[in-house]
Amino acid sequence: MMETFLLALFNILDITTLTFMVIGVGAGLLAGSVPGFTIAMAIVLTLPFTFSMPPAQGLATMISVLVGGLSGGLMSGILTGIPGTPSSVATTFDGFPMARRGEPGLALGIGVWSSFCGGIISAILLVLFAPQLARIGLEFQPWDFFMLVMFALTVTASLAGSNLVKGLLAGAAGLFVRTIGEDDAVGVARFSFGSDYLLSGFDFIAVLIGLFAFSQLLSDLRDPVAARKSLSDQKQVKVRIEHRRAIGILIKNWSVVIKSAFIGMFTGILPGAGGSIANILAYDQAKKSAKDNSQFGKGDPRGIIAPEASNNAVEGGALTPLMALGIPGDITAAIMLGALLMHDIVPGPTFISDEPVLSYSIFIAFFLANFIMLALQSGVLRIFVQVTRIKTYVLATGILTFATIGVFALHNSTEDILTLFFFGILGFAMRQFGFPIAPMILGVVLGDIAELNLARALAINADPMLFITRPWSLFFTIIALFSMLFPIYQNQRDKGTLLAKLYAPFMLLALSVPLFMMGGNVRPILAVIAIATGGFILWRRFQSNASPS
Amino acid sequence: MSLNRDTIASLCLIMACGGLMFVSLDIREPDYGVLSPATWPRLIIVIMAILSTIYFVQSIRLPRSKTPVAPRLSFTEFVLYWRNVLIVFFVFAIYLMVLPYLGMLVGNILFSLVLLTALGGFKPFIMHIMVAFGTSGGMWLLFIYGLDVILPRGSLTGF
Repeated sequence: MMETFLLALFNILDITTLTFMVIGVGAGLLAGSVPGFTIAMAIVLTLPFTFSMPPAQGLATMISVLVGGLSGGLMSGILTGIPGTPSSVATTFDGFPMARRGEPGLALGIGVWSSFCGGIISAILLVLFAPQLARIGLEFQPWDFFMLVMFALTVTASLAGSNLVKGLLAGAAGLFVRTIGEDDAVGVARFSFGSDYLLSGFDFIAVLIGLFAFSQLLSDLRDPVAARKSLSDQKQVKVRIEHRRAIGILIKNWSVVIKSAFIGMFTGILPGAGGSIANILAYDQAKKSAKDNSQFGKGDPRGIIAPEASNNAVEGGALTPLMALGIPGDITAAIMLGALLMHDIVPGPTFISDEPVLSYSIFIAFFLANFIMLALQSGVLRIFVQVTRIKTYVLATGILTFATIGVFALHNSTEDILTLFFFGILGFAMRQFGFPIAPMILGVVLGDIAELNLARALAINADPMLFITRPWSLFFTIIALFSMLFPIYQNQRDKGTLLAKLYAPFMLLALSVPLFMMGGNVRPILAVIAIATGGFILWRRFQSNASPS
Repeated sequence: MSLNRDTIASLCLIMACGGLMFVSLDIREPDYGVLSPATWPRLIIVIMAILSTIYFVQSIRLPRSKTPVAPRLSFTEFVLYWRNVLIVFFVFAIYLMVLPYLGMLVGNILFSLVLLTALGGFKPFIMHIMVAFGTSGGMWLLFIYGLDVILPRGSLTGF
């Protein structure tokens, strides 16, 4: 184990890898700080770069962009009041008021150190949890993997947008895109219409860049007036990050840091629920649990700590199911999965044991990237001010040019640029019609895995009932069904309808069935706890209904 | 029944599903293998058709007040509203067509320059030239010399 760790450490401490990591964190910080340019876009644009790198180096670079991006959003949020990414929306609630009252350096310091702590806590949890989850994943058979993919798609669809049907349609469309071309198993042409271009199938990296980056750029450019504006016209910002005071405040509020990091980690594990949800949840929890919350919204440090610690912890969570099961926890992890597949590495429960050096390299890179982020933040702050003065159309054109060369570089093929163009238009149309992009991307990334496991399952046993009668399959089916009902539950929660009252207890009671079926010692105990909790919630809800108001 | 944007989109999707299902009949069925190559795509198409039908029903049942109303635009207003998007589509399509003749370096410089000028106007033309040369040239150098990627040469330009 020590030897593996040292090998991984040498992989990451290699001067080339370190250089790419520093550039990656810097680029991520910038990408995260510019509103309209999301972290996922930055990651997806990094993919072509990593193609020619060894897997560990490529993944370390992408992780660096990711960690930088998660922390970059706080700069614009605190200094301009416009969050750089959706995952730093809540940071502006208190960060911007604190900056306006004359303490921008302190606000930035709290944000930076909270991000760092959140990242480190989630890195520790990733190292601890991923191997454990992988051990559970070894129990999975093809039926369970197929249902796990379906569960990931339904959860993402239910959380990604306001309309579940549109989300599910997007997910199904993503799965369909992967069927175009030659069938992997028997080499039969599907939906190729006699075209060699379609027969070879769409390169999924080009599809991802088109769907995500190209379509986003088109959306940013749509308004001719806004496209000619820059984010900020400020010539100079003289801010010195107040590290010492910020650390003091963080030590004083250590419980908020830890709680928020756990919220972020847990949210990250759930497919589809990323930093955009985690930062709001953590902020809300910090506000609710504060003895005196009168200063929230006016520049309370806890209002910066909670969202920043949670949004950086999200990625540790999202990487956990990716490394342990091969199922990404969010869109950025889905792109990471794409990077692994690009290098012919298929993550799954045996990934950590089969590729120990690569796994350890990911863990080490995740830790190290947080330290690099801390070191670079002050320097990038100065560049950020310059970048915000660039007009949107200039930035968008530069990124589009980069995306074009990057996509070509994947296979030295101009057909991939055509794919980028086509899926850019499709993604833009989807955005205009209110279809979420995230489920489609997940569908594209997981399409082959789903088909492969469906084929394997039917080859072992043709009985389709096994997809819902095996314990783990049933477990994922139940969560998938309840996740599809989640938007309805959300709508009816405030109205106090019967469905809203029964939702949580029924889910717990239903989940106890597969837990009992799994056998062993721990899982039946968990099933009993689920039944007891479900029964208790049910009793409380109906008792409060029966009692006179 | 109100015919709104979602209704039209859902009808298009239902028709697309019908078309794809029809095309899936052309998928060859080999004598070997347990799962036919057509099964998985057909399963997805059926699910998409069901979801599209639900989407259609949702769209026609939506109260008029909640239907997404797209402003009725004349052709000129439509072009003006989507001006930038249409410019990107058009310039990118031309770029794709001339890429084999101009090559990646010249093609990208021209693509950037034309797009920058079309989106930002002629006033900052010098700045556009600098940005086009800087970004496209810089990336070309990076990919050619930094990442050892062979970028396409133009049949007319030679580089």
